[in-house]
Amino acid sequence: MEKNKVQYVCKYTPLEILAGFGCEFDLIDKLADDYDIAGQLSHDNLCGFGKSMLQTVLQEKPEELVLVNCCDTMRRTYEVIREEGICKFLFLMDLPHRQSCCAAEKLAKEFKRLKDEYEAYSGKRFDKNKFLDAVCNDPKPEKEGAYIGILGVRCGQELEDEIRELVPGNIRNLTCARNRKVYLSRRGLENLDEYALVEAYARAVLEQFPCGRMGLLEKRRELFSDPNLKGIIYHTIKFCDYYEMEYLKIKAEADFPVVKLETDYTKQSEGQLKTRIEAFAETLTGVGADGMAGASAPTEKIKAHKAAGGHMFVAGIDSGSTSTDVVILDENKKIEASVIIPTGGGANISAEEALHQALEKAGLKAEDLSNIVKTGYGRDYIEAGSNSVTEITCHAKGAHFLCPSARTVIDIGGQDSKAIKIDENGAVLNFVMNDKCAAGTGRFLEMMARALGFTLDEMSTADENWKEDIRISSMCTVFAESEVVSLVAQNKDVADIVHGLNHSVASKVASLAKRVSPEEGYIMTGGVANNQGVVKALEETIGTKLFICDEAQLCGALGAALFALEQIA
Amino acid sequence: MDQAEKFGQIIVDTARKNPKKARKLLSMGCTINELMSLMPTSKVSPCHRYGSRIVSHSLKQAIIHPDKSAMVSIFIPCEPLAAAGITPLSVEAFSGFSSGIHAEQYFLNKTKEDGEPETLCSFHRVFHGAMSAEVLPPPKMLLYTNLACDANMISFPYVIEKYKIPSFFIEVPYERNHEAVRYVAEQLKEMVAFISDITGAKISEDELRESVERGKRTSRYYLERLKYVGEHALKGPVESELYAVYSGHIMMGTKEAEIYNRKTLNDIKKAANNDAVRLLWLHMIPFLQPSICQNLGYSTKARITAVDLVYDSMFDLDLADPYEAMAYRMVYSVYNGNIDWRIERAIELAKQTNTEGIVVFAHWGCKSTFGASGLYTKRFEEAGFPTLILNGDGGDPSNCADGQMATRMGAFIEMLEEQRH
Repeated sequence: MEKNKVQYVCKYTPLEILAGFGCEFDLIDKLADDYDIAGQLSHDNLCGFGKSMLQTVLQEKPEELVLVNCCDTMRRTYEVIREEGICKFLFLMDLPHRQSCCAAEKLAKEFKRLKDEYEAYSGKRFDKNKFLDAVCNDPKPEKEGAYIGILGVRCGQELEDEIRELVPGNIRNLTCARNRKVYLSRRGLENLDEYALVEAYARAVLEQFPCGRMGLLEKRRELFSDPNLKGIIYHTIKFCDYYEMEYLKIKAEADFPVVKLETDYTKQSEGQLKTRIEAFAETLTGVGADGMAGASAPTEKIKAHKAAGGHMFVAGIDSGSTSTDVVILDENKKIEASVIIPTGGGANISAEEALHQALEKAGLKAEDLSNIVKTGYGRDYIEAGSNSVTEITCHAKGAHFLCPSARTVIDIGGQDSKAIKIDENGAVLNFVMNDKCAAGTGRFLEMMARALGFTLDEMSTADENWKEDIRISSMCTVFAESEVVSLVAQNKDVADIVHGLNHSVASKVASLAKRVSPEEGYIMTGGVANNQGVVKALEETIGTKLFICDEAQLCGALGAALFALEQIA
Repeated sequence: MDQAEKFGQIIVDTARKNPKKARKLLSMGCTINELMSLMPTSKVSPCHRYGSRIVSHSLKQAIIHPDKSAMVSIFIPCEPLAAAGITPLSVEAFSGFSSGIHAEQYFLNKTKEDGEPETLCSFHRVFHGAMSAEVLPPPKMLLYTNLACDANMISFPYVIEKYKIPSFFIEVPYERNHEAVRYVAEQLKEMVAFISDITGAKISEDELRESVERGKRTSRYYLERLKYVGEHALKGPVESELYAVYSGHIMMGTKEAEIYNRKTLNDIKKAANNDAVRLLWLHMIPFLQPSICQNLGYSTKARITAVDLVYDSMFDLDLADPYEAMAYRMVYSVYNGNIDWRIERAIELAKQTNTEGIVVFAHWGCKSTFGASGLYTKRFEEAGFPTLILNGDGGDPSNCADGQMATRMGAFIEMLEEQRH
């Protein structure tokens, strides 16, 4: 942060008025490493941007800061900063959100108040020509052609860079603080008196592509009729509910791919975000039923195998948080060997060990494998193989192979749960994942089993003779653990507690599944598919039978192996 | 499973098969509450029994007759509705009632299925879920305002668009001054015209004026009551304070609200002295948490002297213009504008009511309140009032650990008791 620049956070900030004073400015838009200082003065449940902004301001102590009264977080953050007495010039602008004829007039009054207060504080005089130079500066036109829009709430430069790296093509950042375009034609402006000029300027500021907070969804929807818009990456920040609700509407209406990225505006959750972005990119580039787009051409070795009429083998490796799975297929898609081992000692070591065991089972050597495709959280840390596909696309592929009539895949893994809607060819139509919370995942069950003194296998059947319908109301894993301990203390039957826990997981996962508009033909994959109690509870909650097979836990690795085969076929 | 829980389970089971029938059962629950409040008991002050009766009746009318009700946010002036004979349906009250009978998880699950964020205020999510489950039908109209938090601005537009409900929005400016009062008064005139348009019933100036005057008298009774709460205490469960919230907002302008506040004043004048620890409460009271009921109910260990969700817009007004009088209550509500006003007013009331400690309930998702947690603590303690920031969720008890709340609340009360010596 450069201290001689005015810091701001919102695109409705009248930067051109500040330019009239000869000011330079910077947008505060940085993901936080942590919130240690902000946390002391604020509250954990403030949205991530509020905490991040507060942290940045408290650490870097800007001299001049202009904020906009756009939400409760901004109002309270402003008050905390004011109380700390950090900035020499601190201004909170009241932005009208009621779309009436008076809105521009009201905003013009706020601009005038800013101008007067800045003049009094700085001793500088407002230069009308500098202001006109700034506001009459025609903005640069966007790059033409097809593009992917990043919409929703600000995402920070770091996330934008990551999206640009992972998603091919032209990317436009249309999030709340970006896409600022304020322009007035110079003709006639010089003759206006100050009041009329500022009001004309206020109108131009309000006519920008509106941020989600302005309540002008209709105007934002105009974007969707742009034929060049090919997909939307929609960013939300936990506790910023304005954008969460808009996402619901966009997701329901859009006829192009939309993916939601929820962050807490920190640099954490990279694994989950990367999976979502890459899965979205795979949807755009057509990876799915028809094989891997952009896959490299068959190597000389593969050609030789084929020419000789010999067998061909490929492997898929799924590096998950709990287990690492490997599947080896022959050219006829027959499973030659499969292995599931606990992930420990790093993704690469576990993958090497699992691959070694699988090759041994199949009676093969590493050089017998014509191709390897990796998937799962650890996919980028595995040295073997050169291609990787996200676990979303791999699970879809694997599920279609195992059950061609499947249309909805429910995958409960150790760290996350997913619902994937697929078409008749196994291509991904829609998907959702749980957020960082462990509720509804294998980890939740693991922690509850530990609290009850069970192994996971024992947990699977522990509810067989349940009698009392106990509801575990806490969704939070930590609270649920306390609830379980308390139920044990009340001498509740363990079978009843486990039955309640299974229903708690089922409820969370069923809610997730509903969000992809699921179709009949459910298949369950992932390690939790082996838990009979959860399966039963899920079937009761959804109201239909789930297809479960012996390969349920291998589905991701199987999908990866199928991709490996298609790539060289 | 207690009686309320059993009743809630019946409602949930019914809602799955027949939402309309579940709605009737909900209204039956209100009737049961009404009848129970008629049964004499020495544990509850007569005014609170009356409060329970009128609140239950009002809620029942709104649930049974959606065609004669208007869905409102709690900060909308309801005097025009009282003048027009329209029952306001407070979404917060509906959600509170649903949670009180433990039916809230079914409605919350509906919102999860719809993909709503779990960070949104649970009071709003519960009524969204009830609408999604078709237990709560779309009302004839919806009136809302940006006062006092973002949840209103997110939640109401969502249901308005989803269910195509005719609506009216009042924007309250951030600054508190006469210009803002006039700006809001103009909008209130438009709102009255809107209500007439939708209902076809003309609201006469005389009826409106009478309703606003009743509201003024209601405020005066409440403000007068605050002079006695330092020494005397009314008897009742912790949720009794919510009748005052209801009468000061949703029922403002009705005869019943005026009677309730007159009764509370009369009862407290006659009430015995009470030595329980005196607390001033900011924001919602999480009356569903056993920890709160045990510590604050029936004024044994501790009791609440005043709640800022009641006194937020109670003023002794002599404004003749009814629209400006209603607008004044919105603009000068402690929930409007910067936090200084809310803090100053709390300190003023804490002094007046001989309060020993202040509790700020940091309701899940309510950034407007908890965003200034550090400021409250600093300013209140500077003014000599120990302060507890109590995290929790007023509408979704499963979202907080009651054991932890009990420890915090209990320790705070013990600390204040200790400070007496």
